[in-house]
Amino acid sequence: MAKTPTHSNGKREDNLFFVVGDEKKLTELMTCQEVAPLLQGIIQAGACYAVIVDDNSIRLWDHGRPETNRATCQVSKGLFLEGEEVAAIMVQGVQDNTPLIQGLASLAQTTLQGLAQNNLKLMLTTELHTSVVNLSQEELLAVNAKLTASEARYRELAASLKKTVEQRSAALKKAHSRLLQQEKMMAVGQLAAGVAHEINNPLGFIASNLRTLAKYIDRYRQLISALQQATATLPAEGQEPLQALSKKLKIAFIDEDLQELLGQSEEGCHRIKKIVADLKGFSHIDDGETTATDINIELERTLNVLTAQIPEGCRVSKDFAPLPSLLCQPALLCQVFVNIITNALQARKQGLHLKLSTQKSHNTITIEISDNGPGIPPHLVNRVFEPFFTTREVGEGTGMGMAVAYDIITAMAGTIKIDSSEDRGTTVTIRLPLKV
Amino acid sequence: MIEFDEQKKRLVLKLVYYGPALSGKTTNLLCLHDLLTKEGRGDLMMLDTKDDRTIYFDLLPFFLKTPSGLKIKVKVYTVPGQVRHDATRKAVLQRADGVAFIADSQATEARNNSTSFDNLETNLSLVGLNIERIPLVVQYNKRDLDDIIDEANIRRVWDPTGIPVYLTSALKGWGVLESFADLARQTYHSIDKRYDLAGRHGLSSSEFVSRLTTRS
Repeated sequence: MAKTPTHSNGKREDNLFFVVGDEKKLTELMTCQEVAPLLQGIIQAGACYAVIVDDNSIRLWDHGRPETNRATCQVSKGLFLEGEEVAAIMVQGVQDNTPLIQGLASLAQTTLQGLAQNNLKLMLTTELHTSVVNLSQEELLAVNAKLTASEARYRELAASLKKTVEQRSAALKKAHSRLLQQEKMMAVGQLAAGVAHEINNPLGFIASNLRTLAKYIDRYRQLISALQQATATLPAEGQEPLQALSKKLKIAFIDEDLQELLGQSEEGCHRIKKIVADLKGFSHIDDGETTATDINIELERTLNVLTAQIPEGCRVSKDFAPLPSLLCQPALLCQVFVNIITNALQARKQGLHLKLSTQKSHNTITIEISDNGPGIPPHLVNRVFEPFFTTREVGEGTGMGMAVAYDIITAMAGTIKIDSSEDRGTTVTIRLPLKV
Repeated sequence: MIEFDEQKKRLVLKLVYYGPALSGKTTNLLCLHDLLTKEGRGDLMMLDTKDDRTIYFDLLPFFLKTPSGLKIKVKVYTVPGQVRHDATRKAVLQRADGVAFIADSQATEARNNSTSFDNLETNLSLVGLNIERIPLVVQYNKRDLDDIIDEANIRRVWDPTGIPVYLTSALKGWGVLESFADLARQTYHSIDKRYDLAGRHGLSSSEFVSRLTTRS
């Protein structure tokens, strides 16, 4: 809305104040061009002099010349504006013409008042028009300003909304890929656990059967040994076919090899058993919960699971200090180790030296995993923890491994950092607080 | 607000007849024009009308001089009542010294009356005036008609406000002068303290009112 007056005297401090009906002077209401023809007419009609004076007797307009020689008559009539006498018209003529002069004065008075009244009306109408137009314009401007302001607010809102949506989408995308990764790990874990279980049963009877088989074979050997002793007492032509058969069947070699075969098989069973146990332990299918965990054991397990991926000729050195158990989710920790060790194992094809070490100092457990690979170029070191950052071929790496490791370690209130140089390879250092 | 020019010894007062469309504001001024003496009164100026409906305003000016020589002009305005002329109403209402609210007594007009009164309150505050303080009279006009709201109802609504209410017929001339006199008296008292009209200018309240309401 238009501004409001701020003072009781009506003065406006801030803006225009559109006043309708301000007091007008007669000279504002009539112009010389309007009055002059009338006064001229009065003179032409027979008067000598016509003059309009205001209420202070100041001459406003006149025509003709005052008669000084002859006897004159003067007729004066008041001019009223809004009930107030603001001026007078005086008409002068020779005395003989008195009735004419009186008539002319009355005529002039009526005409001039009519003129003033009509002009006032016109001015008031114009003033009001202007005032209303100005008021409306002010109102429109105010409305416009409000609309502009609200539009700006909406624009701002929309802009920040876009930004917020982008941020949220990025966060969601990140969370989503992490979930995928974790799910993948879980699926692998479940699969491993399932496989381990399925393998355990046949493995059980294979191992048991192997032991029984060894016993049975032992009995056969006892029998064969007894038979051989008995045969030795036979005459030579009686022994010959048996010896020939024994030679043909390579019984002596079999007797020797059997021990080895059984030993190897038992050894194989033992290894399968160990791998299955590690797989089971690694998958932590039974304990996704927080438990007291020995980090050294988890590292061993991880390494065992990854055996197949360890390249030929790789040297693995372990330097584990005895560690107090840490309350954590071992499954997550294993995932971290897998991700880091996998990276290290891919560092070089020949002559790889993988070093794992653990230390305890004060209230911190430090785990170092290092390789003697080519290192990470300095300009990429900072990007290693970025999700989807990978230098491998499309399809070979997700670029999520280190990002997930970073998230897990950070969630455990720990730190993870990477030191890498081209001559010394890469070392990943994880520090975990013992009391969280 | 009052216009006062100390040097020219002039005082200009503005009284505004407000109210819903067709409630009889112009008729009020016509009635005053007919009833009052020509002495000290200007002609009723009716700015353009359309089908007899006010679209600008009407103006009835009065002029009087105090014994001290102070010239007082009292300008009585009407506003256009139609809703669409709100900007004009605001323009006319500016610097008003007193307001007469002309309500339509017809039972069917109750809603229009209250809408218009709300509009008066709003517009007064928009032009910086306070309805609580400005001299104000209310007229229930058209009492000569049949289907009108009864007086008891009017009193019940308005008496608690303390605003004087007049039952009038501008067409018949009932109550028009009385309500105008009341408004003039209230206006006098609202400015007397500031200008000391009685003391310095020798103009009493009753003298002021009677000068404005002298019948022809």
